[in-house]
Amino acid sequence: MIPVSVITGFLGSGKTTLLARLMRDPAMGRTAVIINEFGEIALDHDLIETSEESFVQLSNGCLCCNVRSDLTATLADLAARREQGTVPPFERVVIETSGLADPAPILHALMTDRDLCGSYALDAVIATADAVVGIDALDHHEESRRQAAVADRIVITKSDLAEARTEALKNRLAVMNPGARITEGAYGTMSPALLFGCGFYDVTGKHPDVGVWLNHESLHAPYGHEHAHAPHTHTPSITSFCIVREQPLHAVTLPLLLSALAENCGTDLLRVKGIVHVRESPNRPAVIHGVQHVYHAPAWLPCWPSEDKRTRMVFIGRNLRESWVRALIELLDEEVGAVGASHV
Amino acid sequence: MSLVEHAPLAAADERLRAFLEQSLALWQVTGTVQLAAAPVVAEIRAGSGASVWVERAGDDTPFRWFVRWRREGDAPGGVREVRPRACSSLVGLLAAVRDGLGVERGSALRVAPAPEPVLS
Repeated sequence: MIPVSVITGFLGSGKTTLLARLMRDPAMGRTAVIINEFGEIALDHDLIETSEESFVQLSNGCLCCNVRSDLTATLADLAARREQGTVPPFERVVIETSGLADPAPILHALMTDRDLCGSYALDAVIATADAVVGIDALDHHEESRRQAAVADRIVITKSDLAEARTEALKNRLAVMNPGARITEGAYGTMSPALLFGCGFYDVTGKHPDVGVWLNHESLHAPYGHEHAHAPHTHTPSITSFCIVREQPLHAVTLPLLLSALAENCGTDLLRVKGIVHVRESPNRPAVIHGVQHVYHAPAWLPCWPSEDKRTRMVFIGRNLRESWVRALIELLDEEVGAVGASHV
Repeated sequence: MSLVEHAPLAAADERLRAFLEQSLALWQVTGTVQLAAAPVVAEIRAGSGASVWVERAGDDTPFRWFVRWRREGDAPGGVREVRPRACSSLVGLLAAVRDGLGVERGSALRVAPAPEPVLS
């Protein structure tokens, strides 16, 4: 399996600069790059140093709008050529989206497309945010909010500039997407190790670091009581909250919960990820990961990654209601428990 | 307490109404959710004019609720008003209420295969 990372971010937020710097790192030597440029004159690809064979430029429209045709065909072709030995044996793919792209359709394709699932696995979504104008972009552009909301990693760029509002932007992003790790990367300086290999599905076969994936610090809460972090609504219309639950859930509750979220929240639910204590599997927690209505099948860890055995879930979406999600979980789990009890 | 068995039915119905009220807000539907004459445990009246009635099913059926509705502009006594939809789960109930209100909200859950190697 080849890990695929998606670099997204609003127009001018430093995606290409970040990618160009990353590609100079020897650790990125076997990386294929796909750049989606929107416009008649494509320039970004000139700024990236990589082998021509494993570099693809998509400039015939916005990737998120043409994902079914362009991206899937490109990735499938790359995999085939790698197999045939006509391109270098790349070990990673990085996709740079256009500044106006909605990453969700791209993630859906990577998660569900039959032609891609056998060869590729989604690693991480990395969003760049401009320390100077990033807050304005979040205020005024839905695309910018969606890009930040689905990210696993957010790199704040241009933080070295005098007019940078780095701390304010960091705080804004932290409440908007508590599941993302936020770092500064002036001039695109950033170690690849900080950005890649943070997806849940570790293609090397090692156990993933779930704490890192969930950005555990944001979920840290005292033991001994159930609670949810207060929903964060500082950014217009985007809401995020974390639900921490002491009581294990019945196994059947999990698919019912995912169905109800998909059917009732639709595209307003941007991302869900979490580790779940399942009553029937006390020593092997389940991990859930979804983008809008598309979820990976829950995966079972071999053991708990830490002493903390509570269910912890992060929800990010537009106009989401934390109280509704909490009530839904409670009611569904009670329903499943009662049905099970009636069959004993 | 269990909504199904352990809680007094009145309390369970009250929780259900509160949840349906929150669901209306989630779906951005203006309206009210109220108790009505038995067997109706929740009567939903939307600002659009649609009405939905949720009835608790009897113990002699495999269902939990029956849902009837009259959409905006429908004449009384329409097919969905006289032939209720049976719901055996909360997920089904929400789907029926959305149908009754004409809410096109989300998408069916799509489950993608977990990439290999799955966690060992």
